[in-house]
Amino acid sequence: MEHLREELDELNKKLLEMSFLVIGSISQSVNAVINRDKEAAETVFQRETEINRLEILIDKLAFQLLALQQPVAVDLRFVTMAIKINNNLERMGDIAVNIAERALSLLSMGLLMPKVDLHYMAKLAQDMVADSITAFIGKDPELAKNVLKSDDAVDKLRDQMYGEILRFMEADPHMIHPGVDHIFIARGLERLADHATNIAEDVLFFVQGVDVRHHAQEI
Amino acid sequence: MRHMDEQLQELLERLLLMGRLAESMIALALRSLIERNDLLGAEIYIKEEEVNNLQIEIDDSAVKLTALQQPVGGDVRFLFMASRIATELERIGDQTVNIIQNTHHVLKAPALKPLVDLPVMGEIAEKMVRDSLDSLIARDCSLAAHVLEEEAKVDAYRDQIFRVLLTYMMADPGTVERALALILISRNLERIGDHATNIAEEVIYLVEGREVRHRHDIALA
Repeated sequence: MEHLREELDELNKKLLEMSFLVIGSISQSVNAVINRDKEAAETVFQRETEINRLEILIDKLAFQLLALQQPVAVDLRFVTMAIKINNNLERMGDIAVNIAERALSLLSMGLLMPKVDLHYMAKLAQDMVADSITAFIGKDPELAKNVLKSDDAVDKLRDQMYGEILRFMEADPHMIHPGVDHIFIARGLERLADHATNIAEDVLFFVQGVDVRHHAQEI
Repeated sequence: MRHMDEQLQELLERLLLMGRLAESMIALALRSLIERNDLLGAEIYIKEEEVNNLQIEIDDSAVKLTALQQPVGGDVRFLFMASRIATELERIGDQTVNIIQNTHHVLKAPALKPLVDLPVMGEIAEKMVRDSLDSLIARDCSLAAHVLEEEAKVDAYRDQIFRVLLTYMMADPGTVERALALILISRNLERIGDHATNIAEEVIYLVEGREVRHRHDIALA
């Protein structure tokens, strides 16, 4: 029994480690865009290797646990949740890299930029990510449900940004290339929010034993 | 343990059904774009619901089978691989829905130019999905590796399409909305290719035990 607990703790620990790395990467990638910070972008690229390494490690731990310890009930649900969250976190790391690449692209274009405010959308997305991780740590279904509710707001913002950026691009050809990058960044932020809701759904599955995916409106 | 084998077979069949649905969604989305037909979207939404339901079914089966049958080694890996492949297929479904939504913007005004690269890119992405699932059925690692190789082609098309459309947009602001939508479609297709390579990576691990995620150079060696 001891081995099982130890291994579950190790799995949990590694997952937390990965969560914080990813949250950091997202933060740095947003930083790179908003503050035109090249070094912040570089940090994201460097961290990517570590995130990928952890993904593979966590998978290995999880499968070894399943195969050798044959956990049941809540422990089995925990391992299942861990595998899914692991996958979501790695995708989020990828998105942070994409955003950082867009940041570098924008940096190479000079200072003429569409005047759209990515701050708010970035904050919303990052809050959702942080809340989804907190919900996982605390096994907190209420917080998880809040994350699910926030998804609509982010989608609306993305659509709104799209319209604004489009207008800038149509008005001035110099805005076209930076405009496209801004659109990609907005989409990246929306995808981050999406993954945060996936994590929240996984937490709800763990806590309630109920599969809530594709049924967000019933919550 | 025959009962377990039957269950695993059933799971595999549902996965393949999901795969065929996803492939048909890609084909429909491409047709909608190429034929400039806004009406095909309805069919895609219907299939999307089916795909989403299958994902939940497959996930639940995987967990139940693990809990009830206490499978060992290879079977556990298969169960969770099935769950992961189901996730990739569901995301492919999402991308086809995005393509339809972007196509809506493309169709708002007359065609910018004849579509040359997007249809080819679409075919490659569709084939990557088909091949990745065929490689699972046949336990064929060289086919799976081939899927990984095609990723570079898809990336190249994405870059080319971007360059061409950027030129259009800069020359004529009236083209911006449509060109942007086409660029976004190329990214949807690129992401579909990405999901296909993820499936291929799972197959390689399942069959050969080689971990090739983030290391395609190992896979293609």
